[in-house]
Amino acid sequence: MKKSGISKLLLLFILTAIIINITGCGSRRDQNTAGNVDHEKDSPLIIRLEGGDWGLPSPFAHYSRGPGMAKMRLIYDSLLEKGEEGLIPWLAKEWSISPDGKEYAFVLNSQVKWHDGKMLTAEDVKFSFEYFLKHPPVSNSLLIDGKPFIEKIEIVDEHQIKIAVTEPNATVLDRLGIVRIIPKHIWENVDNPKKVRDLDKLVGCGPYKLTHYNQEQGTYRYQAFEDYWGPKPLIDIIEFVPVSDPVLAFENGEIDLIKVPQDLMDRYKGNEKYKVLKSPAFWGYKLMFNMEKKPELSDINVRKAIAHAIDIDELIEKVARGAAVPASPGYLPIDHIWYNPDVTKYEFDIEKAKELLNNRTLDLTLLIADDQREARIAELLKINLAKAGINLTVQTADMKTRDSMVKEQNYELALIGHGGWGQDADILRENYAVSVAKDNSPASNVIPGYSNPIINELCKKQLTELDEESRKSMIKELQKLISDEIPLLPLYNTVEYTVFRPEKYDGWVHVFDHHEVTHNKLSYLER
Amino acid sequence: MNMIYKKIVKLLLTFFVIITLNFSLPRLMPGDPFYFLSSEQGDIAITYSEEEIQRQKAYYGLDKPILVQYGNYLINLGRGDLGYSIYFGNDVWTIIKNRIPWSVSLVLLSIILGGLIGILLGCLSAWQRQRTLDKILYSTMVFVSEIPPFLIGILFLFTLAAQQGLFPLSGGMTPFADYASWTDRILDLVHHGFLPALTLSVVQMGGFFLIARNSMISVMNKDYITTAKAKGLGTWRILFRHALSNAALPIVTRVFSSLGQAVGGTILVENVYKYPGLGLLMRQAVLVRDYPLVQGIFLTVTLFVLIMNTAADIMYKKLDPRIN
Repeated sequence: MKKSGISKLLLLFILTAIIINITGCGSRRDQNTAGNVDHEKDSPLIIRLEGGDWGLPSPFAHYSRGPGMAKMRLIYDSLLEKGEEGLIPWLAKEWSISPDGKEYAFVLNSQVKWHDGKMLTAEDVKFSFEYFLKHPPVSNSLLIDGKPFIEKIEIVDEHQIKIAVTEPNATVLDRLGIVRIIPKHIWENVDNPKKVRDLDKLVGCGPYKLTHYNQEQGTYRYQAFEDYWGPKPLIDIIEFVPVSDPVLAFENGEIDLIKVPQDLMDRYKGNEKYKVLKSPAFWGYKLMFNMEKKPELSDINVRKAIAHAIDIDELIEKVARGAAVPASPGYLPIDHIWYNPDVTKYEFDIEKAKELLNNRTLDLTLLIADDQREARIAELLKINLAKAGINLTVQTADMKTRDSMVKEQNYELALIGHGGWGQDADILRENYAVSVAKDNSPASNVIPGYSNPIINELCKKQLTELDEESRKSMIKELQKLISDEIPLLPLYNTVEYTVFRPEKYDGWVHVFDHHEVTHNKLSYLER
Repeated sequence: MNMIYKKIVKLLLTFFVIITLNFSLPRLMPGDPFYFLSSEQGDIAITYSEEEIQRQKAYYGLDKPILVQYGNYLINLGRGDLGYSIYFGNDVWTIIKNRIPWSVSLVLLSIILGGLIGILLGCLSAWQRQRTLDKILYSTMVFVSEIPPFLIGILFLFTLAAQQGLFPLSGGMTPFADYASWTDRILDLVHHGFLPALTLSVVQMGGFFLIARNSMISVMNKDYITTAKAKGLGTWRILFRHALSNAALPIVTRVFSSLGQAVGGTILVENVYKYPGLGLLMRQAVLVRDYPLVQGIFLTVTLFVLIMNTAADIMYKKLDPRIN
């Protein structure tokens, strides 16, 4: 897309300039860092991050993207939080699940204040769940496959609540846990929450209050909430500011954290002024097979031949510039907490691919988005697949067009890049076992023409298995099955490098299921 | 009187065709505002199930037959209601209204700046025709006008903003600024707007230069210029009093037509500088298929161009009474 083209060019400029002009730039940067370190102990710690407009951070109005959601979550707390290893207690200090898996009891912390000084009670929690069922928020976890699953919400006392669900389901705790709790006294009379745009109405019980938002400029300012119930906020003020080029802005001291392209890593690595964090690889590309439109693809040997004819290492080196890891044929990436290292792998081997194809030749069309990286991947795939006897025609469309073509199953092969690979392992079911009648097809994850009863059965079983260990072993088995079958082929998962100046702020951390340090609450709080 | 009626009917007809196109074009694009399958690298898009998508569509009235949607659009438009943005979660007119001043000032400023310099150099070039100055100017201008606007933008961004630190890297004003007085405010706005305006001016300059040069050259061969020269009038007087006023017609047309072009240029330039104008917004709106917002922006831009064209017609008649 345009954007990536521009950033590529910028990168080129920066590189040349760094070579030509090291001294000039260097001296100016020193001044900036010196200025930053000088701030006295008493003066507030202000951290600036890359902004841009991601919407008013209300649960109903932020944009449907990661940065929008993260900004909203700074204001609103939930019953549980994502920690470095897994779910951790948050507004709820304890919870229990009934043996039949149909009742969830939460015990709330008692000293939780809303930003306007009122106290949070179980009444607010009940209200939030009920309100979200009527008025779904932008990010809605209260539906499983599009259907609500809460049967009844019961207040036990001021700080205890019980939630009954329609059937046992392993993802329910996560789903209930991440629901934002909103104050009843603000929202109970609001009929159209999408239209609430008053900053005064954004009262949460989270660690930060929003004090400024400007949609055109893409600026946000958050102030630490002095009466926050939980771990102390370490940053006093967070400011999100618009940035044209993040690297330039970081060098100029305008922002305090960036994600650095692999090509510029040498500038920061080994320099003690900077700290580099490597992200878990939770964003990736996968290759979709439409076996309905191209019945040849339902032959497992053809799919295996394609897998053998793709040189993943070359893709990583040439397209991702080294900042990626090979994806697992079993889908869950290597950084996933339940990754199975013993899945079947397909090494790059053209001879083997030919053998599997049995001297057949195949003509396939690959649908990609008009993005530079995708075009490069497609070109490299084309070259290697041709050697195995598969002729690839590349078809390009803009991202939205490509997405809807995939939805309408109007493709043979499609390349798709997306995030969220670190989520609950139920993504396996969503990717490999969603079967819906054609006329009512959600299709986003359907593999046209493919259905495997064993995989489907196991996917269903893991969903209702509440014992974590046995669910984990099912998921591992599932990955193995999937890797033998490769109904779709994951290619690679990208790694990101976050760079910041530790002497100014050193609290950045990754949580277990996300690749972005600025998108989780823990990064801003005392640990 | 009859003429004016005809003119008005013609304008209304054009307007009607335009709003019909505005309505149908975004809907003809493949893609769906609620459906996100992929995301840009490193980004997470929230995905919705089919039930949720249907519910959202019902909320925005997008589940109705297309003709009903069209009827509703016309009725709402008649009431001055541009609709509610799907992605941005705000009133379309509020969003656009807040962006207009940024883009319009950028466009106007760049045309004034680019126009003045371009015309001035064009006159000089015509005067010095076939001499060294003309040759240098001509080839430079042709070269400059062929560079894509975003490239010029990046060049300025890098040299003047990043390296020299003379200008801010992005944005339309200092974030969270607390201005002591309105002069501070204006200075800050100028400081931020200067590079985007300069970039657009450079883009505009080439076109103005070429048209001014051509127009001047044809005028310079006219008898009255020879007479003026023979009378021993000064160079400046001949150039700007006698020649330019007669060469002005195509230049004026150019000024107004370039207003439309400048809107196109702002899209790229605003994206380079993250300048909070309509261009930045339009790109995002199209990428996420935000129908109401795309319609609103197209409408605003077409209205702007229509008004400018009408203004050009009026100016034309004022400048040259022969045209009627």
